Amino acid sequence: MHSRPLYVGIDLGTTNSTAATFDGAALTLIRNAQGSTLTPSVVRFDGRGNVTVGAKARRAIDSDPENTRSEFKRVMGTGKRFAIPATGKELLAEELAAHVLRSLRADVREQLGFEPTAAVVTVPALFEIPQSAATSRAAQLAGFSRVELLQEPVASALAAGWTSDTRGAWLVYDLGGGTFDVSLLETRDGLLRVVGHDGDNFLGGRDFDNALLDWALATLKTRGVLIERSDPRAAPTLTKLKLAIEDARIELTRNERANVALVGCRGADGSDLPIDFDIDRLTMESVCRHLVDRSVAVCRRLLATHGRSSADLSQIVLVGGPTVMPFLRSQLRADIGAPFAPQLDPMTLVAQGAALYAATAGLDARPAPTQREGGERLWLSYPAMTPDLTPHVVGKLVEPRRQLARIRLRRADGWESPEVALDAEGAFVVAVDVLPRQSNELVLEGSDEAGKRVEVAPSRITIVQGMTIGDPPLSRTVGVALADDRVHVYFERGSPLPARRSFRHRTVESVVPGDGSFALKIPIVQGELDRAHLCRLVGALEIPSSLVKRPLPAGSPLEVTLELDRGGKLSARALVLGSGEVFEEVAHLLGPDATPQSLTATIEAIATRIGEHRRSAFRNNTAAMVSRLATIDERLNEARVAAQAAHGGDADAAQRAHRLLLELDAELDGFERDQQWPELDAELTDAIVHTTSWVQEFGNEHEKKVLDETVSAARRAREARQSVELQRQLRLLRTLAFTASQRWPEFWPTEFEAAASRVNEASDLAKAESLIREGRGYMDAGHRERLSRVVRDLWALLPSDPTERRLSYESGVR
Amino acid sequence: MSLVSARMDAPHIDENPFFVLDLPIDCGAMDIERAGQKLLAMLKVGMKDAASYRTPLGPRQRDEDAVRRAMAALREPQARAMAEFWARPEVWEPVHETRLPVWSDAHKRLGTLDR
Repeated sequence: MHSRPLYVGIDLGTTNSTAATFDGAALTLIRNAQGSTLTPSVVRFDGRGNVTVGAKARRAIDSDPENTRSEFKRVMGTGKRFAIPATGKELLAEELAAHVLRSLRADVREQLGFEPTAAVVTVPALFEIPQSAATSRAAQLAGFSRVELLQEPVASALAAGWTSDTRGAWLVYDLGGGTFDVSLLETRDGLLRVVGHDGDNFLGGRDFDNALLDWALATLKTRGVLIERSDPRAAPTLTKLKLAIEDARIELTRNERANVALVGCRGADGSDLPIDFDIDRLTMESVCRHLVDRSVAVCRRLLATHGRSSADLSQIVLVGGPTVMPFLRSQLRADIGAPFAPQLDPMTLVAQGAALYAATAGLDARPAPTQREGGERLWLSYPAMTPDLTPHVVGKLVEPRRQLARIRLRRADGWESPEVALDAEGAFVVAVDVLPRQSNELVLEGSDEAGKRVEVAPSRITIVQGMTIGDPPLSRTVGVALADDRVHVYFERGSPLPARRSFRHRTVESVVPGDGSFALKIPIVQGELDRAHLCRLVGALEIPSSLVKRPLPAGSPLEVTLELDRGGKLSARALVLGSGEVFEEVAHLLGPDATPQSLTATIEAIATRIGEHRRSAFRNNTAAMVSRLATIDERLNEARVAAQAAHGGDADAAQRAHRLLLELDAELDGFERDQQWPELDAELTDAIVHTTSWVQEFGNEHEKKVLDETVSAARRAREARQSVELQRQLRLLRTLAFTASQRWPEFWPTEFEAAASRVNEASDLAKAESLIREGRGYMDAGHRERLSRVVRDLWALLPSDPTERRLSYESGVR
Repeated sequence: MSLVSARMDAPHIDENPFFVLDLPIDCGAMDIERAGQKLLAMLKVGMKDAASYRTPLGPRQRDEDAVRRAMAALREPQARAMAEFWARPEVWEPVHETRLPVWSDAHKRLGTLDR
């Protein structure tokens, strides 16, 4: 057993998975039984109950495809079940992922002599709550009792920052099998800050393979070999060809030319297909150049969003298998200009970063000791890893004080802290000096009032000094959907996890005790847009009539608390302020899966959306919109063909249809956002005029300074046509306007008159009229604070728009 | 959108990161880490000294979540700038003018006039 803490990090990848450990001084990559640091994320089952994971399982993809499963990470958290005929069972993606994690856990045991109980597992930057929660479940199924999740780009940044002495701004360019992520980071004073993320969910190594496949099919066609991608009968040949092309792409990273030759492939009519051709680097470059251009455009967009240019970058860290392609590297070098970080392994960087983060989080993977140390027991708290050279160690006696009166900490090389007396609570705070960039072992020495030595437990601790990152940031904003289709943001993107926040809402509908046929919904959504229906529903808190003990009239105040842990677990609770009743049932929703039925339903939904937009485009006679919709429609037809094949049992086609539909959904979202752009642009003009007026009139110098910065950021977002960022800046502008406007003495009287003018719409007319009488009294007496309360109560009685409410996942709160 | 609905996003004086961490507004990045880590450790072991903090509106309860949020806010330049002005006492001094807001240099700020 290791005497020092040991930290485990796992990169659970779509194609390959890797484990790494960190002992406070060195990072070690874990090798599997085959001696490789990469374990293919493939699981195979046989009829005797044996489970094979990794390279051996991958070899069975062709020969035993029904019992061999891969790429399940793509459908994590969706509820999709994979049938395994050999066992007669159906497994969820997280259950398959658990086998991969279990295998990596066993590899750690082989190498280090103990089975780790805790680990940090990485997830893609844009994973949503259901996907993250499924990843945590997978780790628990694999036997890890404590698990934390970390976003992949943060992990690679941490590893790159640890191994090289980077300062200033830098980029992590992460091109995986199916997704592209880019992160802008900044290192200062040993602290790593994620300035921003961007990416393309539909750009990865697989797109390079697809581009090469298209080229290969066109080349074969000129030779009279016809293979139709849309023909389900060609699926076996296409699968083989795709695998061969992937191998050729990898071979081209070392050689100038690669050969693709397949035997035993048959055409739709059963005839032999002669497949034998060469690909050279120049061909690959010309066929795939547009894909690298796409990634460069994303990098530039990220830099522009944050007011930077490539000249500001000190380096680029490359992550992911496809980044070893020489032509990609030379094109990136030419287009962005910053040097590449040297001596970093793009394939294992994420796992290394996860292990480093496990240290920051104090997630020691060693099993709890079976023997207790003797001495007076202390409850200690300190940063296991810190950029600080003088961190604090805080402790408290677990049991009422006995002899221990003073404590001192001594470092192995002789440095010692001043002796500190325990306070009345039996607690102490000691600042310790630690040596830079290493693991520091500190011994705790206790003494009694007379200065006599007192044994304490634990008697030693380890603090690693080095670069760290704060708490893992939330990748997408989380909030409650309101009845008017707005989102009340609880946690902004980038908020530290874990997070917990409470806000007060009002119900828009009455709930009376009954049979449970009605439930007031509080939908929880995730996304960056201000309109609830454009965000993803990730959970819903419900107040059913069967559980309500007393009637809850419309306009009742509720305190809603949302809590998110680092593993993506979402908890929510609603407290009815009038009665003290608490509701905690959260319906956790699943992400979309790829069953043939769900594919058909999604196709229909997208076709409906296209139809609606097309009618509007024809009405407005906008040819550009019509043409853009026609392109989306053509691709929907491709998805239809693939979905038909999925109905026939072709799992590959199901995945392709699923991927295509996700792309089309995103494209339609983009289309819809573009349609909203003039409205958003006008909103910005209005907000700037409004905020500037208020801040100039009632603001102070600091508010003016913040206004300048916000307006600059909004201008950048406007010029780059980034609606999400623009909405974020709009929120800040409104906050500033509100701060300043509240100092205008007529603010609440004006709002009061506006609300009072709508009294006929109130859900409770008598109550509204009483409030208005009360408000007039406060206005006459000059009680602004009381008047503000009356205005809020009046708003609660005004109705919500039924259309907006339907859009907003039937939200029952405002 | 009504200005008042923006109140939901308004940072409260009683959650101001400088007050939560008990730091002056000119503190450096390492001061934030040190103060934050120390408070987190004190809260974890349940030390009473860390359980509350002072604000201009009176004492407030401090918890680990508020400390982590405060540390994250002060690491981010835009959020820090916002927190700085909320932490200054003059922000909360009442202003007594009653003039209506006037048109300003909004178009210039938007960049539509300087092209």
